[in-house]
Amino acid sequence: MSTILKMFAFPAAIMMMCLGIVTILGGHITPGGGFQGGAMIAGGIILCVIVYGVEKSPIKLSHEFISAVESIGALSYVILGLIGLFLAGFYLYNVGTDFYNLVPNIIVNVFHYPDVTNAGIVPYFNVFVGLKVFVGLSAVVIAFSQFKME
Amino acid sequence: MIYLGPLIIGPILFGFIIGFVLGIAMKNNPKSEINFNVSSFVVILIVAIVIAWQLGSYPYYTDLPIATGFISGVIGIIIGKLIFGR
Repeated sequence: MSTILKMFAFPAAIMMMCLGIVTILGGHITPGGGFQGGAMIAGGIILCVIVYGVEKSPIKLSHEFISAVESIGALSYVILGLIGLFLAGFYLYNVGTDFYNLVPNIIVNVFHYPDVTNAGIVPYFNVFVGLKVFVGLSAVVIAFSQFKME
Repeated sequence: MIYLGPLIIGPILFGFIIGFVLGIAMKNNPKSEINFNVSSFVVILIVAIVIAWQLGSYPYYTDLPIATGFISGVIGIIIGKLIFGR
């Protein structure tokens, strides 16, 4: 790729990733959410992989990093769902909002997302799904870009 | 709920965490022909502040006239890169 493209791609990728972060964080009150924001973050990483190549890319996702982030995202989602199951009797029950008054107040305060909306644990799900999606989509493109033509 | 004065702490905290995770993955690559040094990241931060101003108080918060999640994401990326991405 040309030098101009190489100078432009990395800063543009950072801005794309930050827009993805904003999309994840606004997922409970605006269009978007974990998957869309994660796909935008993956878009930034894919831009770097295409422009610089896998070997020379400034954003390098190692195998350990991908497996760790993917595992943290998936496990945290399941654990947050199980907390609702154990405390209220329903899997994925919104313990941060507690519409049916099934959970003690102290638990509600712990899991309540700190903003002006009454979203409860929904933004946490968005964050975990976003982490999982960005490494998942990036891993697919990185794997495809490493294939050699026969 | 946790309030830090008039600031809404949710997007600031979680924007920083996601940005930090992304910053960890950014490594100085000796094979690369393009070198991004500290001044590059200062320019990126200034551009990010302008973009956050243009985004406004996204998503519908009224604490600050800028997108706090965007700014904290950039700061998280830069700090994650400085600490772990060398």
